[in-house]
Amino acid sequence: MPKIYTWDQLFSRRQFIKGGVAAAALGAAAGSGLLHPKPGLGDARSTVASTLSGTKYVYTICEQCVWRCGVIARVENGVVRKLEGNPDHPNNAGKLCPRGNAGIETLYSPSRVKFPLIRAGARGSGLWRRASWDEALTYTAEQMKKIKDKYGAKAMIFNSTDNLSQPFFETLLKAYGTPNYGTQRSLCFNSMTTGFLYTYGVAQPGTDYANCNYMIFSGRNLAEGISNIETQEMIDMVARGAKVVVLDPRFTKTAAKAEWLPIRPGTDLAFFLALINVLVNEKLYDAKFVSQYTQGFDELTKEVATYTPQWAEVQTEIPAGTIRRIAREFAASAPAAIAHPNWRTSNFLNSFQAERAIAVLNALAGNWAKPGGLIPDQSINTAKLGTLPHPSYPAAVGMRLDGVPWQFPMVPLAYGVLQVMRDNILTGKPYQAKGWLISRQNPVLSIPERQKTINAIMKLDFIGVIDIMANDTAYYADVILPESSYLERYDGLVPIGDEIFIRQPVIKPLYDTKSSLMIYKELAVKLGLGDFLPYQDEKDLLVQELKPYTVSLEELERKGHYRVPNFKEDHSKDFAFQTSSGKIEIASGIMAQMGKKAVPTWEAPPKPGPDEFYLLTGKTAQHSQMFTQDNRWLLEIFPENKAWLHTTVAKKLGVKTDDMVIIESEVGKIRIKVYVTEGIRPDSVFMVGGFGHVSKGLHFAYGRGASDSALHKSLADPISGSSALSQTFVRVSKA
Amino acid sequence: MHTEVTWGLLIVVYLFTAGVSAGAMVASNAAFLLGGDRYERVARWGAYLAPFPIAFGTGVLLLDLGSPLNFYHLFMTLQYKSPMSWGSWAILLFTLLSLLYLYLWLPPRYQVGHVIKRVRAWKGGLAKGMPILAVSVASYTGVLLNAADRPLWQIALLPELFLVSAMSTGVAAVGVAVALSRRWRASHEEKLSLALVDIVLVGIELLIFGAMMIDSQIGTLNQQLAYAVLWTGSYAAAFWIMIMILGLVVPLILKIVEVRGRLPWKWNEWVGLGSSLLVLVGGFFVRYVITYAGQMTGWLR
Amino acid sequence: MTVRMGFVIITSRCIDCDACMVACRAENEVPIGFTRNWVTDSGAVGKFPIVKQMFEPGNCMHCEKPSCLSVCPTGATYKRADGIVLVDDTKCIGCKYCIEACPYDARFLNPVTGKADKCTFCLQRLEQGLKPACVQTCLGKARHSGDLNDPESVVSKLLNRYPARQLSPDAGTRPNIYYIDVPVAEIPSGT
Ligand SMILES: Nc1nc2c(c(=O)[nH]1)N[C@H]1C(S)=C(S)[C@@H](COP(=O)(O)OP(=O)(O)OC[C@H]3O[C@@H](n4cnc5c(=O)[nH]c(N)nc54)[C@H](O)[C@@H]3O)O[C@H]1N2
Ligand SMILES: Nc1nc2c(c(=O)[nH]1)N[C@H]1C(S)=C(S)[C@@H](COP(=O)(O)OP(=O)(O)OC[C@H]3O[C@@H](n4cnc5c(=O)[nH]c(N)nc54)[C@H](O)[C@@H]3O)O[C@H]1N2
Ligand code: SF4
Ligand code: SF4
Ligand code: SF4
Ligand code: SF4
Ligand code: SF4
Ligand SMILES: [Mo]
Repeated sequence: MPKIYTWDQLFSRRQFIKGGVAAAALGAAAGSGLLHPKPGLGDARSTVASTLSGTKYVYTICEQCVWRCGVIARVENGVVRKLEGNPDHPNNAGKLCPRGNAGIETLYSPSRVKFPLIRAGARGSGLWRRASWDEALTYTAEQMKKIKDKYGAKAMIFNSTDNLSQPFFETLLKAYGTPNYGTQRSLCFNSMTTGFLYTYGVAQPGTDYANCNYMIFSGRNLAEGISNIETQEMIDMVARGAKVVVLDPRFTKTAAKAEWLPIRPGTDLAFFLALINVLVNEKLYDAKFVSQYTQGFDELTKEVATYTPQWAEVQTEIPAGTIRRIAREFAASAPAAIAHPNWRTSNFLNSFQAERAIAVLNALAGNWAKPGGLIPDQSINTAKLGTLPHPSYPAAVGMRLDGVPWQFPMVPLAYGVLQVMRDNILTGKPYQAKGWLISRQNPVLSIPERQKTINAIMKLDFIGVIDIMANDTAYYADVILPESSYLERYDGLVPIGDEIFIRQPVIKPLYDTKSSLMIYKELAVKLGLGDFLPYQDEKDLLVQELKPYTVSLEELERKGHYRVPNFKEDHSKDFAFQTSSGKIEIASGIMAQMGKKAVPTWEAPPKPGPDEFYLLTGKTAQHSQMFTQDNRWLLEIFPENKAWLHTTVAKKLGVKTDDMVIIESEVGKIRIKVYVTEGIRPDSVFMVGGFGHVSKGLHFAYGRGASDSALHKSLADPISGSSALSQTFVRVSKA
Repeated sequence: MHTEVTWGLLIVVYLFTAGVSAGAMVASNAAFLLGGDRYERVARWGAYLAPFPIAFGTGVLLLDLGSPLNFYHLFMTLQYKSPMSWGSWAILLFTLLSLLYLYLWLPPRYQVGHVIKRVRAWKGGLAKGMPILAVSVASYTGVLLNAADRPLWQIALLPELFLVSAMSTGVAAVGVAVALSRRWRASHEEKLSLALVDIVLVGIELLIFGAMMIDSQIGTLNQQLAYAVLWTGSYAAAFWIMIMILGLVVPLILKIVEVRGRLPWKWNEWVGLGSSLLVLVGGFFVRYVITYAGQMTGWLR
Repeated sequence: MTVRMGFVIITSRCIDCDACMVACRAENEVPIGFTRNWVTDSGAVGKFPIVKQMFEPGNCMHCEKPSCLSVCPTGATYKRADGIVLVDDTKCIGCKYCIEACPYDARFLNPVTGKADKCTFCLQRLEQGLKPACVQTCLGKARHSGDLNDPESVVSKLLNRYPARQLSPDAGTRPNIYYIDVPVAEIPSGT
């Protein structure tokens, strides 16, 4: 009879020292320190001393968020002491954001899952037993085979959020043969990517900050939604005296450096339509560029005729004069002027239209491939890695649970609609899903309507999670396959431009964990699909990826990156737009085909009722998504989220900063502390997402702050599939 | 920005006890030099009391140190700019000499050898010298805070305030002792004199606070804000109730009642004892409020 | 000319990301609950929709006339010839006098060592020719350090070109952090 542990026992230091392998890996010196933890910081790292000696510096890549900055790790006697930005890395130019600096605490966190776990009580009961890797993988493979045999491969869902080894996860899912793949995209940037894809044929054009003189962000908050080098470039741009305009219903730290326009939520579309109106009416657009590279301008002219600044003022609550001024200023700076494509623009169901309007505005400015403008697709100018041979994939049979394309014909297959997939686990339509394998994603907290996600999990026969810690989704899983943290493992190589970067272990794994590369591989073997991931170990894989080049893996490891010699940038295709017309589609061919208005058009967003507020969500510079709220170093600088209320609203409710309020939506209710500020529209409430964890396996995050995902309604834009995170209205009362 | 209390109750106790010891010592010295045998009980009790509060306070201070085992470094150097450095030397010297002084006041059977013969001379010598040391110790507690760069602690009258308060608590402590003692109970005259001295000291303390209030109207903005913490801020309740009313005004009235002697004898006894205890309480709160409130005050940026 | 180590902080370039605080914690093993550096946030000042917000990073100012030094009873706190103010742990008794005396609240009692702790200018890094951890990681290039007396240093060049202020000059310690509030388009190169 195997011993059964609760989370508390599992994550007490005593327990993991009992785990033979882990203890052995830690060495004798660790034992006493771990049994008698010192308070505060660095208990693990200052006691985990190994017999290795000396200081070494190891190049690797950060994974505290999805941005992939270059890191140099200082390792002393086998203990990681300091992470520093790699000055030669284009993503961060030597600097790490707070989360990147706090990677050491992620590595040594007591909340790490230290060996494979198999559920030993009801789902979510927190009862587990320790398993060997062989047992855990065999169990996972058996469950997956059982589902495939009984219900077909389609009954199994695979989920993963952007990461370096994601291509190999995708290989596994294709080999398994399911059509059901869930990424974070529809919660994140589907509006932007589809909006630009259908206009330029490029999903994510770059932005040339260095030469840009006029930037309009709508919701994009680079000071807090950090994209390291881009954030640096934004700051440089402001410092240079270039104009930056921020549309956001709340005063962000980016807005603090710019002209802030507290736009009414959901009406960015009206703002941009009005800018287009002014550019068209006052003939401020780049006529030559428009006639040469675009199609549909006449249709646009007709459509925007009524979208005057006066009209937009009513929608946006931004004065018509301001809108007109910005339109003129923007045009005057063109082509070194950009309406930023933004990122997580999943605010309203009309966000796709807003992104289309933004894309079109940029076309009118003629800023494509010009200094200070939008930068065409860079993927063709990126070094190509060697690929691995594999047998042909089986056909993925069955409709997709996320409704693509049968319900969402315009959502690219690769993007998917995650929230609908979750809903259809619950509805059982078009068929009942039975299993879910999740790697590096925390859907319990990231998909709107948290309770629904938990219910969906409860309905399944099997759920397996690959994570580094006992996060919420892992807490409800049947099996947790613990990945080594990013400082302990290899991942697939990263080409950026003419360079190739490597993530490599800076220390040996502290615990009985594996890289996801090996987890996928070994799982594939157990499933009888080993041929699809043809590598012996990580190094073998990397050597194959490096095949086209002369550099050895050892050299790459030593230097951290490799520059492909004589790499020629190819700009011949910059103006070969991958749209149906081959032009920038101001009037979208696909939209027309689908019987929709082909040019950007006004869609009125819903408004909150009396006594209701818009609920806004967003990032804070100090945390990543639904992940780092357990990191003590980051909790030091951002301990919990609070609900922002405008001063007048707080006064009416009779609350002060740090008083408790109850926030209620149609789907949920939370209690949270208040932050009173002049920096938010009186009709809005703002919360940083990612707090309010439900996993008791998180030592420091459990019970901290509250989750807006518990309040968010599940919505999906019929065109882009984008979630609409600001389209939930809430009531607020004093607790 | 500074919200945490770095110096807490232990330091308050230290400051308070040092003051009581210094005050008791000065009371004893004065009684011995000026009053002779008529004030013998006051002199004796002052001598008996003096070493202990400060020794206790020093012990408490050690507890407050981050590295108590390192404390000897205090006496490896003299940092003349640091009040704590010379203050520590002064306290060490004071404690040692006050023990000697106490020894001289012990009944002869506890004394050894021929010291006895010269006791009076020694006593006299010490009684003349100790007040200087006592005054240093008492004002040191004020200078200590004075030197820490905080607006409230930089009030010019702080050392004076602490000195007078130290004296009044010392006198009050002796007053309590001589009122309760069986063997060396104070004479009516002694009590009356102690009460009169306390009246004068408490009066001066009130004057100092008055001067501070005027100062608070004319000082820099930093100082005005600092004073406001006392007058109207988060320590206002403690200041007005524990210091001004219970610690100064009430005992002042009671002492006056005691001195005028219109009450029945037994009552007068209690009035005297009660008012002395209140002076002690008030003196404690002077340290408490200034120490805590001072840490809340900072410089405008 | 003697070396005078100090900092120049460009508030207009700070985004309050706090990377500098985490970097310092890692580099100097600062215990949880304490910090050697900080970034103050004014919050939204003004009335909606006309508001402003200022971020002001800071750390020990390595003052010319440090009050922490003059009050130290053991001589544990000392100022090096290059102006860096340090604590000699072997002498420190943890009396916290210096913590009280510092007008910038730059010090704390380290519960692990029992000694007064504060910014050391990352001396261990300077000795290796590196910039302090907080300066090195600063996303906004808001924090700069160097010899204020060396005309070739970044800090001197910045001070030559832009108006600067010090914090709480009233406190009288003559701090060696200078604040520039105006936009600084380009960071001059220098030592
Ligand atoms: N520190 C940190 N950086 C991150 C991340 C992180 O978790 N932490 N995550 C990364 C990821 S995955 C992403 S997608 C990006 C996201 O980065 P961004 O897209 O820049 O940021 P968000 O914080 O998601 O949302 C931005 C803002 O949208 C505003 N908003 C809400 N509704 C509306 C509206 O209707 N109109 C307008 N104009 N504004 C509105 C919110 O108030 C919020 O301030 O950040 C990336 N960088
Ligand atoms: N309320 C609200 N909801 C949102 C958003 C919001 O702003 N507010 N933002 C949306 C956006 S933009 C996005 S992109 C999504 C993100 O949604 P998700 O992708 O679901 O969220 P993450 O927090 O990025 O999930 C990362 C998971 O990976 C785990 N992890 C961390 N490092 C590793 C590792 O090295 N290996 C493995 N195997 N696992 C690891 C973490 O513990 C965590 O469980 O959320 C969306 N949902
Ligand atoms: S932006 Fe920050 S967390 Fe993300 S990869 Fe870069 S340093 Fe790491
Ligand atoms: S800032 Fe404070 S700790 Fe630093 S030198 Fe000045 S007085 Fe001393
Ligand atoms: S705590 Fe240490 S450094 Fe500070 S004053 Fe006391 S002895 Fe000096
Ligand atoms: S110089 Fe070093 S010790 Fe000082 S605040 Fe910066 S990182 Fe911390
Ligand atoms: S790292 Fe730089 S930009 Fe970020 S908070 Fe610190 S000083 Fe400001
Ligand atoms: Mo995202």
